[in-house]
Amino acid sequence: MRNILQEIKNFVRSRSIHVSYVDVGSCNGCDIEVLACLAPRYDIEQYGIYVHNNPREADVLLVIGSVTPQWVDKLREIWDKIPEPKAAVAIGNCPISGCVYARRGTLTTPPVENYIPIAASVPGCPPRPTEILNAILSVAPIIFKDYEEKQP
Amino acid sequence: MRSIVYYVREFLRPEWLKKFFSVKTAPLTTPAYFKGYPTLTDKECTHCLTCMMICPAPGAIAVLRHKEQWAPEIYPGHCIRCGLCVEACPEGVLTSGRILDVTSRDKTAFSSWYRLEVDDNLCMRCGNCCVSCPVNREIDPQLAGTGTSASDEVIMRIEGGRVTILHEEKCTGCKTCETNCPNRAIRVARMVEGVQGGEAEA
Ligand code: SF4
Ligand code: SF4
Ligand code: SF4
Ligand code: SF4
Repeated sequence: MRNILQEIKNFVRSRSIHVSYVDVGSCNGCDIEVLACLAPRYDIEQYGIYVHNNPREADVLLVIGSVTPQWVDKLREIWDKIPEPKAAVAIGNCPISGCVYARRGTLTTPPVENYIPIAASVPGCPPRPTEILNAILSVAPIIFKDYEEKQP
Repeated sequence: MRSIVYYVREFLRPEWLKKFFSVKTAPLTTPAYFKGYPTLTDKECTHCLTCMMICPAPGAIAVLRHKEQWAPEIYPGHCIRCGLCVEACPEGVLTSGRILDVTSRDKTAFSSWYRLEVDDNLCMRCGNCCVSCPVNREIDPQLAGTGTSASDEVIMRIEGGRVTILHEEKCTGCKTCETNCPNRAIRVARMVEGVQGGEAEA
């Protein structure tokens, strides 16, 4: 019985990934690429991925930007609001290295890994929509499949 | 009633169901015209560091020695895939998509130089920059403590109580002066100019 329930959950979760994105201080380039995923050319919804910015309903959090001091505690707050199972994907160079903001005298504190656990990173300045889509699609099954059975 | 049956029949067709539930656009592949991260060709790197000089992203490329051989390495979290290193490398060590073909077809090249600027409000006339500059020291070994120099050939010297830049074109962009300035008053900026159809100087 439990297995059938798990199978149903696996199926549903594989076709219904809710994404929330947060920009913690970037140039907006990566936001535009996330937006492009929604456009008909890439059409993120045909994969069952829905973008709507409510962390309470999200499965995957897309983190964009090198972290500015104002975001340090708020990012953690947003992450804590997302119900389990959840995954965070770092979009672009900024959350990985700070990219162009990784200079003397800028008010950013990358990498984002210091604040929340990151499941996957998509490097690029900005990354292509295909790369963002691929990252979401490849990280989702790893995190969500058999989630309940993996719990201790 | 008849219309309801019609709709149910219409929507239960297998091809319609398949289309509705499956992915419709082409598989997610990166188009061929897209610039990827630069990769290495089998040409030999001469360790000229042109690629590192032209790279606009901090920490994106480093030329490292592997036993006897130098080779550039690209760091994906830092590289912005601009392709400048590919175009700038005189030996064609790097490649990325079709950039090199376009470069050779259009005869594009870069010329670059360095621009020195001293902020007079921040500068306290200590002369550290003039003394530390390796090019200065080679031209005028007498250049000592104060940064004043008898030679007119040095890049910069303290003249009449302020830093005067004499020969900007001799600067190699090492930024030693920047690091040694206690006030961040001197700034070295790399200027790059793209030229097409002609010969680049540097
Ligand atoms: S592609 Fe551009 S950013 Fe990447 S290493 Fe080359 S010059 Fe630097
Ligand atoms: S990769 Fe090219 S530009 Fe860079 S150090 Fe080697 S030869 Fe010079
Ligand atoms: S960048 Fe290097 S070569 Fe140029 S002025 Fe400064 S110390 Fe001298
Ligand atoms: S090191 Fe800085 S403060 Fe000193 S003379 Fe040079 S620019 Fe001025």
